[in-house]
Amino acid sequence: MTDQVIYDRGYRTYDGPRLGPSGARRAVYKDGVRRVLGLGRKARLKIFPWSLIAIALIAAAVFIGIHWAVGNIEESLREGAPTYGDLFDFYSGISLLFIALAGPQLLAPDRTKGVLSVYFSRPLTVDGYLIAKIGAFATVVGAFYLVPQLVLHIGLALIADEGFLPYLGAHLDILWKVPVTTLAFITLHGAMVFALSSVIDRTGIAAASFLGTLFAGGAIAGRVAEASFPGARFASLLALDHHPRIIRDHLLGDTVEYAPEVAGFEVWVSVLVIVSILVMAAWFVRDRYRRLA
Amino acid sequence: MTVLTVSGLTHDYGEVVALRDLDLEVPSGVTGLVGANGAGKTTMLRLMLGLLHPTSGSMQVLGHDPQGEPLIVRSRIGYMPEGDCLPKDQTAADFVSYAAQLAGMPPREAKRRSSETLYLVGLEEERFRFLGDFSTGMQQRVKLAQAIVHDPDLLLLDEPASGLDPEGRVQMLDLIKRLATFDVNVIVSSHVLTDIEQTCDWVVMLDAGRLLRSGPLQGFEKLGTVLVEVLEHPEEMAALVRARGLEVVVEGRRLMVGPGDEIIEPTVVEAAAAAGAGLVRMIRGSASLEDLFMKEPAS
Repeated sequence: MTDQVIYDRGYRTYDGPRLGPSGARRAVYKDGVRRVLGLGRKARLKIFPWSLIAIALIAAAVFIGIHWAVGNIEESLREGAPTYGDLFDFYSGISLLFIALAGPQLLAPDRTKGVLSVYFSRPLTVDGYLIAKIGAFATVVGAFYLVPQLVLHIGLALIADEGFLPYLGAHLDILWKVPVTTLAFITLHGAMVFALSSVIDRTGIAAASFLGTLFAGGAIAGRVAEASFPGARFASLLALDHHPRIIRDHLLGDTVEYAPEVAGFEVWVSVLVIVSILVMAAWFVRDRYRRLA
Repeated sequence: MTVLTVSGLTHDYGEVVALRDLDLEVPSGVTGLVGANGAGKTTMLRLMLGLLHPTSGSMQVLGHDPQGEPLIVRSRIGYMPEGDCLPKDQTAADFVSYAAQLAGMPPREAKRRSSETLYLVGLEEERFRFLGDFSTGMQQRVKLAQAIVHDPDLLLLDEPASGLDPEGRVQMLDLIKRLATFDVNVIVSSHVLTDIEQTCDWVVMLDAGRLLRSGPLQGFEKLGTVLVEVLEHPEEMAALVRARGLEVVVEGRRLMVGPGDEIIEPTVVEAAAAAGAGLVRMIRGSASLEDLFMKEPAS
């Protein structure tokens, strides 16, 4: 039998590269993406996000199937078969659930579990932390919106009578209209969910508050806007969830008239409302975290 | 090397003054920052991290101003907070690796260091378990691991043995002592003075934001009391010793003199000769930090 020796590796110094604040921001960004998708977490944390992603992708596949069944894309469109704007419509519900999950997951646990004290003892500023979190949110939610649209676009091109490349060439506008519409949805919903998640510690309550604010705001705004007192129509602007839909309809074709449109507001007013909410939420969340740091 | 230099430092939270006009220098090694709850220890640590700005005065940590260059200072510091700081839904390996990346280490290197550091704190077998399943003692070890994983020049430990059972406390203090053998500079904040006595070689005592003492632990230990036994005239001898500025408690033919440094013994000999007391014996006892802390006037 040979003599066996146990080596104590002890504490080793590190002389390798240090990436500084940019490395810290990148780490927060990557962790944020993994957290929203439940990667590296217990199985139950993966179920919800991946189920929603699967539903969104299946919806895109079903849309392609409908067009394929009709046999001719131009004909199927004339017959009202669903396309890009309708896909947004279809998964607007599940995307809200996805956002209601992602926002609180990104902010609340760090705060409630005291992990902020670790973050801010590292070369990371409050702004760097928030920018990385926003980046993670935009990446995951953006992919949630865009990947099914990309699947639909490629699927339609594959079954198009005119052929794959001619279809893509004839629909180049989709390549900017879909991302701009996605940006409108992500900006409004992201600003709202971040503001709420920055003050509500329980992820479930933060998610419910986000959904409740959207639905209740829409319902109340609709009722008040129909009233006869002067300036009542401005209440329609409080139907916050209608604004990105107005932008979507403007870019991808009208579907229905939303409360602000009924009240006579142009699409640029919706853009202004979204930008205003973004600015207010950014100020609010930044101020809150500067106090927490 | 000086790890911390503080000059005329005052910090207040509105009307509450947390630190008052502090001047001190802390050398390399293991330093204990002691004081009761509310003494200003955590405020001091937060100032060192650049998370608070002093009301007046200045501070240099590892030669840098933490208010002017907070990111440089923080990249060289490891911090173990007193409270909870662990995400329960992550494994120990993932979290410690993440903590290393937050300090700027490349991901691959961070992963390697994470394994090594968890081995060092005795959690190699448990590193792929979720933190929510860890005991308090194991969580304290992970907190220590995340603080040292990036090889900091200075380690700040805020009540590292807090919430641990006696066995866990001994293990944590052993770990801190072990770090000292690897030339890691450590500042341990604690209100448990025996912990400081066991781990530190320099002590900074705070009370209600004021500096009571700052110096080597050996110097503190020298400030003991001396038990003196005489044949006769203990009261006359005590009067002579008191006249030289030392405290004396008389119990029969025994006198307890001090606390004080090596000045006590010659003073006692002189006083015994002058009083004709007949010195029988003289025994020096070392003072505990608690003795010294309790003897300081209350602020």
